[in-house]
Amino acid sequence: MASNSPPGVDGPLFKRALLGSLSWLAANHEEANRLNVFPVPDGDTGTNMLLTLQSAVEDIKDSNAAEVSKIAKLASHGSLMGARGNSGVILSQIFRGFARAVEGKSSLTPRELAAAFEEAANAAYRAVNKPTEGTILTVAREAGRAATAAASEPDASVPSVIAAATQGARAAVLKTPSQLNILREAGVVDAGGFGLQIILEGMLKTVEEVDAMPDRPAAARPQAAQAALELPEGGWGYCTEFLIEGTKLDTEAIRNQIEALGNSVMVVGEPELVKVHVHTDDPTRVIALAGRYGKLLKLNVGDMSTQHRRILESEAAGAKPPRPNGVGLVAVVAGSGLVEIFQGLGVDVIVEGGQTMNPSTQDMLIAIESVPYDEVILLPNNRNVILAAKQVASLTKKKVHVLETHSVPEGVAAVVAFRPDRSGAANVAAMKDEAERVQTIEVTHAVRDTRSNGLRVKKGDVIGLINEKLEFAGRDYAEVVNKALGKLGPDSYELVTVYRGAGASEDELENLQTAIRSNFPGLEVEVQQGGQQHYPFILSVE
Amino acid sequence: MAAKRPFAVVTDSTADLPDEWRDRYGIEVVPLKVLFGSETFRDRIDITDDEFFRRLATATKLPTTSAPSPGEFAEVFTRLAKDHSGCISIHIGARLSATAEAARVGAQSVEGFKVNVIDSKTVTMPLAFLCRVAAECATLEEASAAVEERVSKCRVLALLDTLKYIEMGGRVSRAQAMIGTMLDLKPLLLVTPDSPDVKSVDRVRTRSRAIPRMVEYFSADLPVEHVAVVHAQAPDEAETIAANLRKTLRGLEIPIGSIGCVLATHTGPKALGLVYIKK
Repeated sequence: MASNSPPGVDGPLFKRALLGSLSWLAANHEEANRLNVFPVPDGDTGTNMLLTLQSAVEDIKDSNAAEVSKIAKLASHGSLMGARGNSGVILSQIFRGFARAVEGKSSLTPRELAAAFEEAANAAYRAVNKPTEGTILTVAREAGRAATAAASEPDASVPSVIAAATQGARAAVLKTPSQLNILREAGVVDAGGFGLQIILEGMLKTVEEVDAMPDRPAAARPQAAQAALELPEGGWGYCTEFLIEGTKLDTEAIRNQIEALGNSVMVVGEPELVKVHVHTDDPTRVIALAGRYGKLLKLNVGDMSTQHRRILESEAAGAKPPRPNGVGLVAVVAGSGLVEIFQGLGVDVIVEGGQTMNPSTQDMLIAIESVPYDEVILLPNNRNVILAAKQVASLTKKKVHVLETHSVPEGVAAVVAFRPDRSGAANVAAMKDEAERVQTIEVTHAVRDTRSNGLRVKKGDVIGLINEKLEFAGRDYAEVVNKALGKLGPDSYELVTVYRGAGASEDELENLQTAIRSNFPGLEVEVQQGGQQHYPFILSVE
Repeated sequence: MAAKRPFAVVTDSTADLPDEWRDRYGIEVVPLKVLFGSETFRDRIDITDDEFFRRLATATKLPTTSAPSPGEFAEVFTRLAKDHSGCISIHIGARLSATAEAARVGAQSVEGFKVNVIDSKTVTMPLAFLCRVAAECATLEEASAAVEERVSKCRVLALLDTLKYIEMGGRVSRAQAMIGTMLDLKPLLLVTPDSPDVKSVDRVRTRSRAIPRMVEYFSADLPVEHVAVVHAQAPDEAETIAANLRKTLRGLEIPIGSIGCVLATHTGPKALGLVYIKK
């Protein structure tokens, strides 16, 4: 080596490394999805991590920053905005910890890089209420430890540190089944941990290539890194549309300001009502800007690159009388019938998403900003959305209460208890009580063979979950629901609401109703068209 | 011929006046009507409550209701004019029904007979209480003053078993009630004299939770001068509510009333109400 100090990680290198991670994860995220432990169709850990990483990289693509600290900061902000699902949120915290560790630095020595990896893992641990070993957290920590060990070697280099981190991650991933029973039973490794391993591998491929000296055997040029550098020019924009209702609106002035934030800008209308359309990378800023001119109506933000997400404003939002308590309601729901039910109960804005389509922190933030109240109660209605929902509170000036609803029935029960004449805090307390009172039965088909909770399940079997826990498997819906209701003890309940999913036929619904009525004559049965995907039936028992 | 009695008390069938009160005080009850298609029934005259609910259960189309005509009121006032020097005519809230207006128009056609028509702004047994208050007064002026004073204090808390009927009748503003939903909710409604609409105060998914909720709202509105429990085909639940209230509200009679078929057309079966006049 010509110099004592080997080349460090500067802005451009870190940028390339992240793009390498992105392309490698893009090529492998399906693999992570397949590592889904639970037989319910929520195998989207890989997708969630990919979308989170895409968001992390979004602002970096156009940055020429020389300092690693600047790139890390962009990644931290971007991943936080785009965080989806639990693994995605943890990933965003890893970026955050990394960014903090490298603050003010233009380039990292191998030792500093290893320290940043360790700090990234620590930040992730701190962000989680009850850290579970055998998950992405463990993998992040082991990667950090291995990196630190490698950095103290005399000939330590950036590639050797990243290689050690990758190796540490791989070893930790392989060990996850011994740490978590649920993984061992299912015979898989942890999907989130595997995702992190892929991200490190992507970095390694990039730096090895950069580092390749002429006298070294040329490494096979990774296809993935190549793909990452050919990102589309326009980036991942959001098609953002809304109406501004106000007085003496100046379309010219509004257009000028919005043009600075995106392209395909269209601002038309009259002094009282202006229609805005823009493709932008930062819908939140557009909305904040427009919000200064008046009230925003019919807000619709479409993610043009990845998944199509819609934010639906309740039809009559403009016509509703203002709520005496000044508290808005935002709910995460999917399925046309369920969307209607939540809107009918008074929810102001629906964020479409749920089981296999976790909305990002940004999706929820946009929804909250578009509600015409400064205090908002947010209902995630799914365990995998809660963590991302909790991130929103720190990103808005509005007062946000995240009511931790784990299922659609809990969400409905909570919203029913909302009263427009009661304060936000009092509503949250009452809504929480109601949500906890409801029992949820979800019925679906196993997407893979597995063993879980002492049950042996074959792919395609009908499975029944009580409050998200797999309890029963069987051949038809009625059989599984009967067992589940029997377990709950029908004497303690009086009403069963059946939300029929998109995949359930009229006959199956009829059979299910008949079975419940004949086996549990004391229970009232109500049927609603939920229209949800993946779950032929969701039942609320109260 | 005996001397004319000072004044008569008239109400309508939505007062759900107990038979015993009607007989004891000689209160005149003018029936509203319920219409199943082209068939018209006078409330509690041509149809009993039990018959009404039997028909309601099998009807392909929901019944409609109508107020008495001014002519029917005129007949009643003409008859009363023979042996009374005046009359107080206390009726279902004018925002809910055209009955009070019909009484006013009917009274104009009976010359030389003074009729004080009172818009009670309420419905069901608070009306019955107002009639009793009036009947216990010595003069028409006293009776009118006593009733007028209490109109602003009448409340009806109603728990419906379904939104179906009140929605058809158009008596509840849905947007305000946040009940624009397919979901079967048990709405808790409040009729107050100062609100133009029947207000939705709460909504609950199951009946067993809704009843204590209704009692909670009532308890927050104490003290009361009069209170009754009314029901549509739910006598056992009404009796339980009344029995529990009697334990805590000593000295109050707490009668139980049965909701007549005109009002029941809007509430549907299994409706329960806590109705009262505040102190």
